[in-house]
Amino acid sequence: MALTRGERAPFVTDAIPPALRRRGISSRQVLIACVVGALVLALFASRDTPGWAERLGDSNLDHWLRGIAGAWDAAMEQLGLVHPHEALRAAMHRLLDVTWSAD
Amino acid sequence: MLFPTLDFLLFFLVVAAALAALERRFAIKKAMLVAASYFFYAQWDWRFCFLLAGSTAVSYVAGLLIGASANRRTRRRVLAAGVALHLVILGIFKYLDFLVASANQLARMLGLQHELPFVEVLLPVGISFFTFHGISYITDVYRRDVAVCRSPLDIALYMSFFPQLIAGPIVRAAYFLPQLARPADEPIPIAAALLLILGGIVKKVIIANYLATGLVDPVFGAPENYGGPDLLLATYAYAVQIYCDFSAYTDIAIAIAALCGFRFPRNFNQPYRAQRLREFWQRWHISLSTWLRDYLYKPLGGNRHGRRNTYRNLMITMLLGGIWHGAAWKFVMWGALHGGGLAAERMCQPWLGQRSTTPLGKFVGWLVVFHFVCLAWIFFRAEDFTVAAVFIARLGAGWGGPVQQAQPAMVALIVVGMAGQFLPPGSFERVGSMLQRVPYWGLGAASGLILAAINALGPEGIAPFIYFRF
Repeated sequence: MALTRGERAPFVTDAIPPALRRRGISSRQVLIACVVGALVLALFASRDTPGWAERLGDSNLDHWLRGIAGAWDAAMEQLGLVHPHEALRAAMHRLLDVTWSAD
Repeated sequence: MLFPTLDFLLFFLVVAAALAALERRFAIKKAMLVAASYFFYAQWDWRFCFLLAGSTAVSYVAGLLIGASANRRTRRRVLAAGVALHLVILGIFKYLDFLVASANQLARMLGLQHELPFVEVLLPVGISFFTFHGISYITDVYRRDVAVCRSPLDIALYMSFFPQLIAGPIVRAAYFLPQLARPADEPIPIAAALLLILGGIVKKVIIANYLATGLVDPVFGAPENYGGPDLLLATYAYAVQIYCDFSAYTDIAIAIAALCGFRFPRNFNQPYRAQRLREFWQRWHISLSTWLRDYLYKPLGGNRHGRRNTYRNLMITMLLGGIWHGAAWKFVMWGALHGGGLAAERMCQPWLGQRSTTPLGKFVGWLVVFHFVCLAWIFFRAEDFTVAAVFIARLGAGWGGPVQQAQPAMVALIVVGMAGQFLPPGSFERVGSMLQRVPYWGLGAASGLILAAINALGPEGIAPFIYFRF
């Protein structure tokens, strides 16, 4: 099969430059990185999981997930892992409340 | 299913697990990605999957017919029919009610009593993007820029691949289809991908969302209640918001595609540092501007037939680029402003000459281009012409009064958003190179931690991306 122009010379620039594409990982390692990231996120962002579960539907699975999300958040609270989340959120609210006038 | 949500994270974990299991089975991997893409699209409305499949079938059959014929006239007819079919689908779903409303308005102006009924078709999310993908494929086959795709699976994946399906970037057939011919022999650039995802989520969740709710939406909602400082800062805020919102989507799309083993083109390149309007369009939504250039401006004749025809072609291209964004006259106005601006800039080229190469000339050029782009954004964002007119009229009023919405946090977000436009070229590569030294599991853990921090800093709930409605 003859080469197409697309194969000879790309029309556009790749978003990720060649220097950053030379080193990388396999699909399996991507999965591991994603799972590790999701676990860390689950540990420190549990405050939003009950809200997410509330927005789910009304099936038995959804009810079960709501229970899990609530229990998980309570467990993280006991471990003190929700404190960074609450401190950051409070700091952001303080920043947003700052006004130009003193009153 | 929005990118920065738990739903998408869970969806992507399943996709990542399937990709890991199918690492050496390329054909099954592609089939899985098509299934995942249709599942992703069905989250908005499952009925639209049939539309996407229909659009894919049109592209596939047209490509086969063009490829099967050596007769130039037949090839041209099939191309015209294929493009027309795509445009008819787009026209029915996106523009029919707009045309009916415009015809009724015209009838009222002429004193006619009869009004046409509205069809009230629901706008399928991402239709403008997959229509352009389809047209790109048929045209590239016709021009022999890409080989005819004989695999229905490949064309289905090209049309539906979930990272770009809803809001781009617009990926050319000649760029993407060769990637489906054989498995990529390069590793997955995890550092660059995670950097794009985290940067994108900061831009969307923190900058764009807070600017929208804290400044842009209230001021554009009732501009008559605000003075000049609020209106001016809301204009700057919208410029930053739309950049952060849209570039965030494409950054995350590029990263997700990379994690799936595919390359996407660059879509933004610090657009607000442009010193010419033409340069702005070489930096903003690059995949759309190059699409319009190659499939509309050049076929119209480009700049090959004299100055007057060049200005006409620029105007037509930008008007159609404007209407592509949405079925409303305000988008036509936005396109007209950009078309007129590009034509005027070309007209002034001999006069600008060397003036634009001095530091002062560069600064003035930047100042003029940035504010021209901001002026056009007012029409883009305002509900209609009346709101835009009130907004512009009040920009010069009320400068002595108190600032109501543009409080310090909003100004800080505008400054941060604009500062990103002036980072030295190569910053992304430098940071990415440093991150490449970190082990992949460490990058995953750090990303989880940063995502948790962004989640805490961002507002509760995520607004849909602006470009979803296009």
